Amino acid sequence: MSERHRARSIFALVQINGLVPIRTQPLYLLSILASPLSFLFFIDIASHGAYYAFGVTGGMVLTMLSIGTGLQSDLTHYRNDLKFQDVVVASPVEAPSYIFGMALSELVYSAPGLAVFVVLWGIGGWATLNGAAVLVGTLLLVWGFATALSFTLATYFTDVRETWMYSPLISLGLTVIPPVYYPITALPSWAQTLAYLSPTTYAGQLVQAASGLVALSAEHAAVDWGVLVGFTAALFLLAATKARWRDP
Amino acid sequence: MDFALRARRLVKRYPKAPPNVYALSDVDLEVPHGITFGLIGRNGAGKTTFVRIAATQLEHTSGDLEVLGRDVRTRAREIRPRIACIPQESRPLYFLTTEEVVYLNLKMRGMDPVEARRRTRDVLAELELEPYRKTLVSRLSGGLRRRALVAMAFASDAELLFLDEPTTGLDPLARRQVWDAIRHAIREHRTIVLTTHYLDEAEALSARLALIEKGRVMLSGTAEELRARMPYPYRVTIAGSIDVEALHPYGRVTRIEGGYLVFARESSARDLARWGLEHGYRLSLGPVSLEDIFLEIVGRPLVGLEEEEEEPVAP
Repeated sequence: MSERHRARSIFALVQINGLVPIRTQPLYLLSILASPLSFLFFIDIASHGAYYAFGVTGGMVLTMLSIGTGLQSDLTHYRNDLKFQDVVVASPVEAPSYIFGMALSELVYSAPGLAVFVVLWGIGGWATLNGAAVLVGTLLLVWGFATALSFTLATYFTDVRETWMYSPLISLGLTVIPPVYYPITALPSWAQTLAYLSPTTYAGQLVQAASGLVALSAEHAAVDWGVLVGFTAALFLLAATKARWRDP
Repeated sequence: MDFALRARRLVKRYPKAPPNVYALSDVDLEVPHGITFGLIGRNGAGKTTFVRIAATQLEHTSGDLEVLGRDVRTRAREIRPRIACIPQESRPLYFLTTEEVVYLNLKMRGMDPVEARRRTRDVLAELELEPYRKTLVSRLSGGLRRRALVAMAFASDAELLFLDEPTTGLDPLARRQVWDAIRHAIREHRTIVLTTHYLDEAEALSARLALIEKGRVMLSGTAEELRARMPYPYRVTIAGSIDVEALHPYGRVTRIEGGYLVFARESSARDLARWGLEHGYRLSLGPVSLEDIFLEIVGRPLVGLEEEEEEPVAP
Protein backbone atom coordinates (compact mmCIF):
# COMPACT_ATOMS: atom_id res chain seq x y z
CA MET A 1 0.00 0.00 0.00
CA SER A 2 1.49 3.35 -0.99
CA GLU A 3 1.82 6.27 1.43
CA ARG A 4 -0.99 8.08 -0.39
CA HIS A 5 -3.32 5.11 -0.04
CA ARG A 6 -2.31 4.74 3.60
CA ALA A 7 -3.09 8.40 4.28
CA ARG A 8 -6.46 7.96 2.56
CA SER A 9 -7.23 4.94 4.76
CA ILE A 10 -6.33 6.80 7.92
CA PHE A 11 -8.43 9.81 6.97
CA ALA A 12 -11.38 7.54 6.14
CA LEU A 13 -11.10 6.01 9.63
CA VAL A 14 -11.03 9.51 11.15
CA GLN A 15 -14.22 10.26 9.23
CA ILE A 16 -15.84 6.95 10.20
CA ASN A 17 -15.13 7.12 13.92
CA GLY A 18 -14.63 10.86 14.48
CA LEU A 19 -16.08 13.39 12.10
CA VAL A 20 -19.28 11.54 11.17
CA PRO A 21 -20.28 10.68 14.77
CA ILE A 22 -19.63 14.30 15.79
CA ARG A 23 -22.08 15.34 13.10
CA THR A 24 -24.72 12.75 14.00
CA GLN A 25 -24.24 12.59 17.78
CA PRO A 26 -22.82 15.95 18.94
CA LEU A 27 -23.84 15.34 22.56
CA TYR A 28 -20.85 13.00 22.91
CA LEU A 29 -18.60 16.07 22.78
CA LEU A 30 -20.05 17.18 26.10
CA SER A 31 -19.82 13.73 27.64
CA ILE A 32 -16.06 13.63 26.88
CA LEU A 33 -15.69 16.77 29.01
CA ALA A 34 -17.73 15.45 31.91
CA SER A 35 -15.03 13.47 33.79
CA PRO A 36 -12.13 15.96 33.60
CA LEU A 37 -14.38 18.91 34.45
CA SER A 38 -15.89 17.00 37.40
CA PHE A 39 -12.40 16.31 38.76
CA LEU A 40 -11.44 19.97 38.30
CA PHE A 41 -14.60 21.04 40.14
CA PHE A 42 -14.02 18.74 43.14
CA ILE A 43 -10.27 19.48 43.36
CA ASP A 44 -11.01 23.18 43.29
CA ILE A 45 -13.74 22.95 45.95
CA ALA A 46 -11.82 20.56 48.22
CA SER A 47 -8.59 22.56 48.12
CA HIS A 48 -10.34 25.94 48.39
CA GLY A 49 -8.80 26.92 45.06
CA ALA A 50 -5.24 25.94 46.02
CA TYR A 51 -5.08 23.09 43.47
CA TYR A 52 -7.14 24.71 40.72
CA ALA A 53 -4.07 25.00 38.44
CA PHE A 54 -3.23 21.33 39.07
CA GLY A 55 -6.83 20.51 38.15
CA VAL A 56 -6.42 22.25 34.80
CA THR A 57 -3.17 20.49 33.87
CA GLY A 58 -4.56 17.21 35.23
CA GLY A 59 -7.68 17.71 33.11
CA MET A 60 -5.55 17.78 29.98
CA VAL A 61 -3.79 14.53 30.93
CA LEU A 62 -7.09 12.87 31.81
CA THR A 63 -8.64 13.97 28.52
CA MET A 64 -5.80 12.24 26.66
CA LEU A 65 -6.22 9.12 28.77
CA SER A 66 -9.98 9.21 28.13
CA ILE A 67 -9.15 8.84 24.45
CA GLY A 68 -7.67 5.48 25.34
CA THR A 69 -10.71 4.46 27.35
CA GLY A 70 -13.04 5.53 24.55
CA LEU A 71 -10.90 3.78 21.98
CA GLN A 72 -10.93 0.58 24.01
CA SER A 73 -14.74 0.54 24.15
CA ASP A 74 -15.11 1.42 20.48
CA LEU A 75 -12.61 -1.17 19.27
CA THR A 76 -14.12 -3.89 21.45
CA HIS A 77 -17.65 -3.05 20.27
CA TYR A 78 -16.62 -2.86 16.61
CA ARG A 79 -14.67 -6.10 16.82
CA ASN A 80 -17.19 -8.27 18.67
CA ASP A 81 -20.62 -6.85 17.94
CA LEU A 82 -20.25 -5.37 14.44
CA LYS A 83 -17.36 -7.56 13.16
CA PHE A 84 -15.83 -4.38 11.78
CA GLN A 85 -12.28 -5.49 12.58
CA ASP A 86 -12.83 -8.63 10.47
CA VAL A 87 -13.92 -6.43 7.55
CA VAL A 88 -10.79 -4.31 8.01
CA VAL A 89 -8.44 -7.30 8.38
CA ALA A 90 -9.68 -8.70 5.05
CA SER A 91 -8.74 -5.47 3.28
CA PRO A 92 -5.58 -3.55 2.36
CA VAL A 93 -5.67 -1.67 5.69
CA GLU A 94 -2.83 -2.80 7.96
CA ALA A 95 -3.01 -2.89 11.76
CA PRO A 96 -0.83 0.23 12.37
CA SER A 97 -3.00 2.29 10.00
CA TYR A 98 -6.15 1.04 11.71
CA ILE A 99 -4.85 1.88 15.20
CA PHE A 100 -3.52 5.26 14.13
CA GLY A 101 -6.70 6.18 12.24
CA MET A 102 -8.93 5.14 15.13
CA ALA A 103 -6.74 6.90 17.73
CA LEU A 104 -6.72 10.04 15.60
CA SER A 105 -10.52 9.86 15.32
CA GLU A 106 -10.77 9.79 19.11
CA LEU A 107 -8.39 12.75 19.29
CA VAL A 108 -10.62 14.69 16.88
CA TYR A 109 -13.54 13.78 19.09
CA SER A 110 -11.74 14.98 22.21
CA ALA A 111 -10.29 18.13 20.65
CA PRO A 112 -13.08 20.47 21.82
CA GLY A 113 -12.70 19.17 25.39
CA LEU A 114 -8.95 19.60 25.26
CA ALA A 115 -9.45 23.10 23.87
CA VAL A 116 -11.47 24.06 26.96
CA PHE A 117 -8.55 23.11 29.23
CA VAL A 118 -6.00 24.83 26.97
CA VAL A 119 -8.09 28.02 27.17
CA LEU A 120 -8.29 27.73 30.99
CA TRP A 121 -4.52 27.13 31.02
CA GLY A 122 -3.98 30.29 28.94
CA ILE A 123 -6.35 32.37 31.06
CA GLY A 124 -4.61 31.15 34.22
CA GLY A 125 -1.38 32.73 33.00
CA TRP A 126 0.65 29.49 33.22
CA ALA A 127 1.36 29.25 29.48
CA THR A 128 4.86 29.84 28.10
CA LEU A 129 6.32 28.84 24.75
CA ASN A 130 8.67 26.35 26.36
CA GLY A 131 5.88 25.09 28.60
CA ALA A 132 3.59 24.62 25.60
CA ALA A 133 6.22 22.48 23.86
CA VAL A 134 6.62 20.28 26.95
CA LEU A 135 2.84 20.07 27.31
CA VAL A 136 2.32 18.98 23.67
CA GLY A 137 5.14 16.41 23.90
CA THR A 138 3.84 14.96 27.16
CA LEU A 139 0.25 14.80 26.00
CA LEU A 140 1.29 13.09 22.75
CA LEU A 141 3.14 10.41 24.73
CA VAL A 142 0.10 9.91 27.00
CA TRP A 143 -2.07 9.60 23.86
CA GLY A 144 0.45 7.11 22.44
CA PHE A 145 0.61 4.75 25.41
CA ALA A 146 -3.13 4.99 26.05
CA THR A 147 -3.75 4.01 22.41
CA ALA A 148 -1.31 1.09 22.42
CA LEU A 149 -2.67 -0.26 25.72
CA SER A 150 -6.30 0.12 24.61
CA PHE A 151 -5.79 -1.60 21.28
CA THR A 152 -3.98 -4.54 22.85
CA LEU A 153 -6.68 -5.03 25.49
CA ALA A 154 -9.53 -4.56 22.99
CA THR A 155 -8.28 -7.46 20.88
CA TYR A 156 -8.57 -9.77 23.90
CA PHE A 157 -11.99 -8.69 25.16
CA THR A 158 -14.83 -10.84 23.89
CA ASP A 159 -17.61 -8.52 25.02
CA VAL A 160 -17.90 -4.77 25.41
CA ARG A 161 -19.01 -5.33 29.01
CA GLU A 162 -15.44 -6.36 29.84
CA THR A 163 -14.28 -2.84 28.96
CA TRP A 164 -16.83 -1.42 31.41
CA MET A 165 -15.19 -3.56 34.08
CA TYR A 166 -11.55 -2.73 33.26
CA SER A 167 -11.78 0.94 32.20
CA PRO A 168 -12.60 2.36 35.66
CA LEU A 169 -9.80 0.26 37.19
CA ILE A 170 -7.33 1.51 34.58
CA SER A 171 -8.49 5.09 35.15
CA LEU A 172 -8.08 4.63 38.90
CA GLY A 173 -4.55 3.33 38.45
CA LEU A 174 -3.54 5.95 35.93
CA THR A 175 -5.28 9.15 37.01
CA VAL A 176 -6.75 9.10 40.49
CA ILE A 177 -3.98 7.54 42.58
CA PRO A 178 -1.01 9.08 40.69
CA PRO A 179 -0.47 12.81 41.27
CA VAL A 180 -2.10 14.08 38.11
CA TYR A 181 -4.52 16.46 39.86
CA TYR A 182 -2.24 17.47 42.72
CA PRO A 183 1.51 17.69 43.47
CA ILE A 184 3.24 14.47 44.45
CA THR A 185 4.24 16.10 47.74
CA ALA A 186 0.57 15.98 48.75
CA LEU A 187 0.90 12.20 49.06
CA PRO A 188 2.43 10.38 52.07
CA SER A 189 5.91 9.05 51.35
CA TRP A 190 4.82 5.39 50.95
CA ALA A 191 2.19 6.48 48.42
CA GLN A 192 4.77 8.54 46.54
CA THR A 193 6.82 5.37 46.02
CA LEU A 194 3.75 3.56 44.71
CA ALA A 195 2.82 6.49 42.47
CA TYR A 196 6.13 6.22 40.64
CA LEU A 197 4.95 2.87 39.25
CA SER A 198 2.44 4.73 37.09
CA PRO A 199 3.60 6.51 33.90
CA THR A 200 1.05 9.26 34.47
CA THR A 201 3.02 10.37 37.54
CA TYR A 202 5.88 11.36 35.23
CA ALA A 203 3.47 12.95 32.73
CA GLY A 204 1.77 14.84 35.57
CA GLN A 205 5.07 16.13 36.91
CA LEU A 206 6.19 17.27 33.46
CA VAL A 207 3.00 19.26 32.73
CA GLN A 208 2.97 20.70 36.26
CA ALA A 209 6.60 21.81 35.87
CA ALA A 210 5.88 23.16 32.36
CA SER A 211 3.15 25.31 33.92
CA GLY A 212 5.45 26.54 36.69
CA LEU A 213 3.43 24.77 39.39
CA VAL A 214 6.28 22.60 40.70
CA ALA A 215 10.03 22.89 40.45
CA LEU A 216 11.79 20.07 38.64
CA SER A 217 15.57 19.75 38.27
CA ALA A 218 16.97 19.05 34.79
CA GLU A 219 18.02 15.55 35.93
CA HIS A 220 14.57 14.83 37.33
CA ALA A 221 12.92 16.08 34.13
CA ALA A 222 15.24 13.89 32.03
CA VAL A 223 14.28 10.83 34.10
CA ASP A 224 10.58 11.70 33.69
CA TRP A 225 10.96 11.97 29.90
CA GLY A 226 12.99 8.78 29.77
CA VAL A 227 10.44 6.76 31.76
CA LEU A 228 7.52 8.15 29.75
CA VAL A 229 9.16 7.45 26.39
CA GLY A 230 10.29 4.00 27.55
CA PHE A 231 6.85 3.09 28.85
CA THR A 232 5.21 4.24 25.61
CA ALA A 233 7.72 2.28 23.52
CA ALA A 234 7.15 -0.82 25.68
CA LEU A 235 3.38 -0.60 25.20
CA PHE A 236 3.80 -0.19 21.44
CA LEU A 237 6.05 -3.26 21.44
CA LEU A 238 3.38 -5.10 23.41
CA ALA A 239 0.73 -4.05 20.87
CA ALA A 240 2.91 -5.10 17.95
CA THR A 241 3.66 -8.54 19.39
CA LYS A 242 0.62 -9.46 21.48
CA ALA A 243 -2.44 -7.70 20.02
CA ARG A 244 -4.69 -10.04 18.06
CA TRP A 245 -5.11 -8.73 14.56
CA ARG A 246 -5.65 -12.24 13.24
CA ASP A 247 -7.38 -14.50 15.77
CA PRO A 248 -5.42 -17.52 17.04
CA MET B 1 -5.17 -25.33 -13.24
CA ASP B 2 -4.94 -22.00 -11.43
CA PHE B 3 -7.20 -21.80 -8.39
CA ALA B 4 -8.47 -18.81 -6.45
CA LEU B 5 -8.32 -20.92 -3.34
CA ARG B 6 -6.77 -24.29 -2.62
CA ALA B 7 -6.83 -26.10 0.73
CA ARG B 8 -4.81 -29.22 1.48
CA ARG B 9 -5.40 -31.19 4.69
CA LEU B 10 -6.48 -28.01 6.43
CA VAL B 11 -6.97 -28.45 10.17
CA LYS B 12 -8.30 -26.00 12.74
CA ARG B 13 -8.46 -26.63 16.44
CA TYR B 14 -9.35 -23.63 18.61
CA PRO B 15 -6.83 -23.02 21.41
CA LYS B 16 -9.17 -23.75 24.30
CA ALA B 17 -11.27 -26.43 22.59
CA PRO B 18 -11.51 -29.81 24.36
CA PRO B 19 -8.99 -32.42 23.18
CA ASN B 20 -9.91 -34.04 19.87
CA VAL B 21 -12.50 -31.39 19.04
CA TYR B 22 -11.64 -29.93 15.67
CA ALA B 23 -13.48 -27.17 13.85
CA LEU B 24 -11.94 -28.37 10.58
CA SER B 25 -10.40 -31.79 9.91
CA ASP B 26 -8.28 -32.49 6.83
CA VAL B 27 -10.24 -30.22 4.54
CA ASP B 28 -9.30 -30.45 0.88
CA LEU B 29 -10.99 -27.88 -1.36
CA GLU B 30 -10.27 -26.21 -4.67
CA VAL B 31 -12.11 -23.10 -5.83
CA PRO B 32 -11.49 -22.18 -9.49
CA HIS B 33 -11.26 -18.53 -10.49
CA GLY B 34 -14.34 -16.63 -11.65
CA ILE B 35 -17.11 -18.73 -10.16
CA THR B 36 -19.40 -18.68 -7.17
CA PHE B 37 -18.44 -21.50 -4.83
CA GLY B 38 -21.14 -22.46 -2.35
CA LEU B 39 -20.31 -23.81 1.08
CA ILE B 40 -23.30 -25.48 2.67
CA GLY B 41 -23.76 -27.11 6.01
CA ARG B 42 -25.44 -26.72 9.37
CA ASN B 43 -24.37 -24.18 11.96
CA GLY B 44 -21.26 -25.48 13.64
CA ALA B 45 -20.25 -27.48 10.59
CA GLY B 46 -17.12 -25.38 10.02
CA LYS B 47 -18.15 -23.08 7.15
CA THR B 48 -17.41 -19.83 8.96
CA THR B 49 -14.13 -21.17 10.35
CA PHE B 50 -13.04 -22.01 6.82
CA VAL B 51 -14.07 -18.60 5.48
CA ARG B 52 -12.31 -16.77 8.35
CA ILE B 53 -9.07 -18.67 7.75
CA ALA B 54 -9.23 -18.00 4.01
CA ALA B 55 -10.02 -14.32 4.60
CA THR B 56 -6.84 -14.08 6.74
CA GLN B 57 -8.84 -13.35 9.91
CA LEU B 58 -8.06 -16.59 11.72
CA GLU B 59 -4.95 -18.75 11.98
CA HIS B 60 -5.16 -22.44 11.11
CA THR B 61 -3.59 -25.25 13.08
CA SER B 62 -2.01 -27.27 10.29
CA GLY B 63 -2.26 -28.02 6.58
CA ASP B 64 -1.92 -25.63 3.67
CA LEU B 65 -4.19 -22.98 2.25
CA GLU B 66 -3.37 -20.87 -0.76
CA VAL B 67 -5.51 -17.85 -1.58
CA LEU B 68 -4.92 -16.25 -4.98
CA GLY B 69 -1.73 -18.30 -5.26
CA ARG B 70 -0.26 -17.14 -1.96
CA ASP B 71 0.14 -18.97 1.30
CA VAL B 72 -2.43 -17.61 3.72
CA ARG B 73 -0.15 -17.97 6.72
CA THR B 74 2.99 -16.30 5.40
CA ARG B 75 1.75 -13.95 2.68
CA ALA B 76 -1.46 -12.53 4.13
CA ARG B 77 -0.34 -8.94 3.44
CA GLU B 78 -0.27 -9.69 -0.29
CA ILE B 79 -3.66 -11.39 -0.20
CA ARG B 80 -5.58 -8.75 1.76
CA PRO B 81 -5.69 -5.97 -0.88
CA ARG B 82 -7.26 -8.48 -3.30
CA ILE B 83 -10.08 -9.76 -1.09
CA ALA B 84 -13.18 -8.45 0.67
CA CYS B 85 -15.35 -10.12 3.27
CA ILE B 86 -18.80 -9.79 4.75
CA PRO B 87 -18.52 -11.70 8.03
CA GLN B 88 -21.39 -13.67 9.48
CA GLU B 89 -23.53 -11.55 11.81
CA SER B 90 -21.69 -8.38 10.85
CA ARG B 91 -23.53 -5.06 10.98
CA PRO B 92 -22.68 -1.72 9.42
CA LEU B 93 -21.68 1.10 11.79
CA TYR B 94 -25.05 2.47 12.87
CA PHE B 95 -24.17 6.18 12.86
CA LEU B 96 -23.23 6.20 9.16
CA THR B 97 -25.65 6.70 6.30
CA THR B 98 -26.06 3.91 3.74
CA GLU B 99 -23.97 5.91 1.28
CA GLU B 100 -21.22 6.48 3.85
CA VAL B 101 -21.08 2.75 4.67
CA VAL B 102 -20.08 2.04 1.08
CA TYR B 103 -18.11 5.19 0.23
CA LEU B 104 -16.00 5.36 3.40
CA ASN B 105 -15.20 1.65 3.17
CA LEU B 106 -13.87 2.21 -0.34
CA LYS B 107 -11.82 5.18 0.85
CA MET B 108 -10.55 3.12 3.75
CA ARG B 109 -9.38 0.53 1.21
CA GLY B 110 -7.36 3.36 -0.37
CA MET B 111 -9.56 4.01 -3.40
CA ASP B 112 -9.49 7.35 -5.18
CA PRO B 113 -12.46 9.47 -3.95
CA VAL B 114 -13.84 10.10 -7.46
CA GLU B 115 -13.79 6.39 -8.28
CA ALA B 116 -15.22 5.61 -4.84
CA ARG B 117 -18.15 8.01 -5.47
CA ARG B 118 -18.87 6.43 -8.86
CA ARG B 119 -18.76 2.88 -7.51
CA THR B 120 -20.94 3.85 -4.54
CA ARG B 121 -23.57 5.38 -6.83
CA ASP B 122 -23.56 2.31 -9.11
CA VAL B 123 -23.83 -0.28 -6.37
CA LEU B 124 -26.61 1.59 -4.52
CA ALA B 125 -28.57 1.67 -7.78
CA GLU B 126 -27.93 -2.00 -8.47
CA LEU B 127 -29.09 -3.11 -5.03
CA GLU B 128 -32.00 -0.62 -5.07
CA LEU B 129 -30.63 1.21 -2.04
CA GLU B 130 -30.80 4.67 -3.61
CA PRO B 131 -33.92 5.75 -1.71
CA TYR B 132 -31.99 5.09 1.53
CA ARG B 133 -28.77 6.81 0.42
CA LYS B 134 -28.94 9.49 3.12
CA THR B 135 -30.69 7.37 5.74
CA LEU B 136 -28.77 6.50 8.90
CA VAL B 137 -28.10 2.79 9.20
CA SER B 138 -29.68 2.84 12.67
CA ARG B 139 -33.00 3.68 10.99
CA LEU B 140 -32.83 0.90 8.40
CA SER B 141 -34.55 -2.48 8.73
CA GLY B 142 -32.38 -5.54 9.34
CA GLY B 143 -32.68 -6.58 5.71
CA LEU B 144 -31.62 -3.17 4.39
CA ARG B 145 -28.62 -3.13 6.73
CA ARG B 146 -27.56 -6.48 5.35
CA ARG B 147 -27.92 -5.17 1.82
CA ALA B 148 -25.77 -2.15 2.72
CA LEU B 149 -23.03 -4.54 3.82
CA VAL B 150 -23.34 -6.55 0.63
CA ALA B 151 -23.12 -3.28 -1.34
CA MET B 152 -19.93 -2.46 0.57
CA ALA B 153 -18.28 -5.70 -0.55
CA PHE B 154 -19.47 -5.55 -4.15
CA ALA B 155 -18.36 -1.95 -4.61
CA SER B 156 -14.78 -2.87 -3.72
CA ASP B 157 -12.22 -3.78 -6.35
CA ALA B 158 -11.52 -7.14 -4.66
CA GLU B 159 -11.02 -10.14 -6.94
CA LEU B 160 -12.20 -12.61 -4.33
CA LEU B 161 -15.25 -11.98 -2.16
CA PHE B 162 -16.16 -13.96 0.94
CA LEU B 163 -19.85 -13.70 1.71
CA ASP B 164 -20.76 -15.48 4.94
CA GLU B 165 -24.53 -15.91 4.90
CA PRO B 166 -25.17 -12.64 3.06
CA THR B 167 -28.91 -13.07 2.66
CA THR B 168 -29.87 -14.18 6.16
CA GLY B 169 -32.79 -12.06 7.29
CA LEU B 170 -33.66 -10.75 3.83
CA ASP B 171 -37.13 -11.01 2.31
CA PRO B 172 -37.44 -13.01 -0.93
CA LEU B 173 -37.31 -9.92 -3.15
CA ALA B 174 -34.20 -8.54 -1.44
CA ARG B 175 -32.58 -11.97 -1.68
CA ARG B 176 -33.13 -11.92 -5.44
CA GLN B 177 -31.46 -8.49 -5.64
CA VAL B 178 -28.41 -9.85 -3.85
CA TRP B 179 -28.44 -12.85 -6.20
CA ASP B 180 -28.43 -10.48 -9.17
CA ALA B 181 -25.50 -8.58 -7.67
CA ILE B 182 -23.61 -11.85 -7.20
CA ARG B 183 -24.28 -12.80 -10.84
CA HIS B 184 -23.09 -9.34 -11.89
CA ALA B 185 -19.88 -9.79 -9.89
CA ILE B 186 -19.29 -13.09 -11.64
CA ARG B 187 -19.69 -11.37 -15.02
CA GLU B 188 -16.86 -9.11 -13.84
CA HIS B 189 -14.75 -12.29 -13.49
CA ARG B 190 -14.63 -12.13 -9.72
CA THR B 191 -14.64 -15.20 -7.52
CA ILE B 192 -17.15 -15.54 -4.71
CA VAL B 193 -17.07 -17.92 -1.78
CA LEU B 194 -20.60 -18.03 -0.46
CA THR B 195 -21.84 -19.74 2.68
CA THR B 196 -25.55 -20.11 3.06
CA HIS B 197 -28.28 -21.98 4.85
CA TYR B 198 -30.57 -21.57 1.88
CA LEU B 199 -30.02 -24.55 -0.36
CA ASP B 200 -32.07 -23.06 -3.20
CA GLU B 201 -29.75 -20.07 -3.06
CA ALA B 202 -26.66 -22.25 -3.10
CA GLU B 203 -27.97 -24.17 -6.08
CA ALA B 204 -29.15 -21.09 -7.98
CA LEU B 205 -25.85 -19.25 -7.62
CA SER B 206 -23.05 -21.74 -7.22
CA ALA B 207 -21.16 -23.28 -10.10
CA ARG B 208 -19.59 -25.64 -7.58
CA LEU B 209 -20.58 -26.63 -4.06
CA ALA B 210 -19.10 -28.28 -1.01
CA LEU B 211 -21.08 -29.80 1.80
CA ILE B 212 -19.35 -29.48 5.16
CA GLU B 213 -20.39 -31.48 8.18
CA LYS B 214 -18.52 -31.67 11.50
CA GLY B 215 -15.47 -29.97 10.03
CA ARG B 216 -15.15 -32.33 7.08
CA VAL B 217 -15.99 -31.92 3.42
CA MET B 218 -18.53 -34.65 2.77
CA LEU B 219 -19.21 -33.88 -0.90
CA SER B 220 -17.90 -31.44 -3.44
CA GLY B 221 -18.62 -30.73 -7.09
CA THR B 222 -21.27 -29.25 -9.35
CA ALA B 223 -24.91 -29.76 -8.37
CA GLU B 224 -25.17 -32.36 -11.13
CA GLU B 225 -22.11 -34.21 -9.89
CA LEU B 226 -23.56 -34.23 -6.40
CA ARG B 227 -26.83 -35.64 -7.71
CA ALA B 228 -25.02 -38.30 -9.71
CA ARG B 229 -23.48 -39.60 -6.51
CA MET B 230 -26.86 -40.20 -4.91
CA PRO B 231 -28.22 -43.77 -4.85
CA TYR B 232 -31.62 -42.39 -5.90
CA PRO B 233 -31.16 -39.40 -8.23
CA TYR B 234 -34.92 -38.77 -8.81
CA ARG B 235 -37.78 -37.74 -6.57
CA VAL B 236 -41.46 -38.45 -7.24
CA THR B 237 -44.18 -36.90 -5.11
CA ILE B 238 -47.62 -38.49 -5.18
CA ALA B 239 -50.65 -36.84 -3.61
CA GLY B 240 -53.62 -38.75 -2.19
CA SER B 241 -54.28 -41.82 -0.07
CA ILE B 242 -52.22 -44.65 -1.50
CA ASP B 243 -51.36 -48.06 -0.20
CA VAL B 244 -47.73 -47.48 0.78
CA GLU B 245 -46.87 -51.10 0.03
CA ALA B 246 -47.54 -50.38 -3.62
CA LEU B 247 -44.81 -47.73 -3.61
CA HIS B 248 -41.99 -49.63 -1.91
CA PRO B 249 -40.81 -51.54 -5.00
CA TYR B 250 -39.98 -48.25 -6.74
CA GLY B 251 -37.52 -46.85 -4.20
CA ARG B 252 -37.25 -45.23 -0.78
CA VAL B 253 -40.63 -43.96 0.46
CA THR B 254 -41.15 -41.06 2.87
CA ARG B 255 -44.49 -39.83 4.18
CA ILE B 256 -45.13 -36.13 3.49
CA GLU B 257 -48.06 -33.78 4.01
CA GLY B 258 -50.92 -35.04 1.77
CA GLY B 259 -49.06 -37.94 0.20
CA TYR B 260 -45.69 -39.60 -0.29
CA LEU B 261 -42.23 -38.75 -1.56
CA VAL B 262 -40.39 -41.53 -3.33
CA PHE B 263 -36.67 -41.40 -4.12
CA ALA B 264 -35.97 -43.59 -7.09
CA ARG B 265 -33.56 -44.51 -9.85
CA GLU B 266 -34.37 -43.17 -13.32
CA SER B 267 -36.18 -46.26 -14.69
CA SER B 268 -38.13 -46.80 -11.45
CA ALA B 269 -39.11 -43.13 -11.35
CA ARG B 270 -40.46 -43.38 -14.89
CA ASP B 271 -42.38 -46.59 -14.07
CA LEU B 272 -43.79 -45.04 -10.90
CA ALA B 273 -44.92 -41.93 -12.77
CA ARG B 274 -46.64 -44.06 -15.36
CA TRP B 275 -48.32 -46.18 -12.66
CA GLY B 276 -49.47 -43.07 -10.80
CA LEU B 277 -50.95 -41.44 -13.87
CA GLU B 278 -52.76 -44.67 -14.82
CA HIS B 279 -54.34 -44.72 -11.36
CA GLY B 280 -55.32 -41.04 -11.48
CA TYR B 281 -52.95 -39.69 -8.83
CA ARG B 282 -51.52 -36.16 -8.95
CA LEU B 283 -47.77 -36.40 -9.08
CA SER B 284 -44.58 -34.60 -9.90
CA LEU B 285 -41.25 -35.99 -11.06
CA GLY B 286 -37.83 -34.35 -11.00
CA PRO B 287 -34.20 -34.68 -9.99
CA VAL B 288 -33.42 -34.75 -6.28
CA SER B 289 -32.93 -31.33 -4.75
CA LEU B 290 -29.88 -30.15 -2.88
CA GLU B 291 -31.92 -30.49 0.28
CA ASP B 292 -32.58 -34.15 -0.50
CA ILE B 293 -28.85 -34.68 -0.95
CA PHE B 294 -28.18 -32.86 2.29
CA LEU B 295 -30.64 -35.08 4.14
CA GLU B 296 -29.10 -38.17 2.62
CA ILE B 297 -25.58 -37.20 3.71
CA VAL B 298 -26.23 -35.53 7.05
CA GLY B 299 -29.38 -37.37 7.96
CA ARG B 300 -31.04 -34.29 9.41
CA PRO B 301 -32.73 -31.28 7.87
CA LEU B 302 -30.71 -28.08 7.54
CA VAL B 303 -33.35 -25.68 8.79
CA GLY B 304 -34.60 -26.01 12.33
CA LEU B 305 -31.44 -27.45 13.78
CA GLU B 306 -29.33 -24.33 13.66
CA GLU B 307 -29.33 -23.81 17.37
CA GLU B 308 -28.59 -27.40 18.21
CA GLU B 309 -24.88 -27.43 17.62
CA GLU B 310 -22.86 -24.24 17.69
CA GLU B 311 -19.53 -23.92 15.95
CA PRO B 312 -16.65 -23.85 18.43
CA VAL B 313 -15.64 -20.25 18.85
CA ALA B 314 -12.31 -18.69 19.50
CA PRO B 315 -11.81 -18.04 23.21
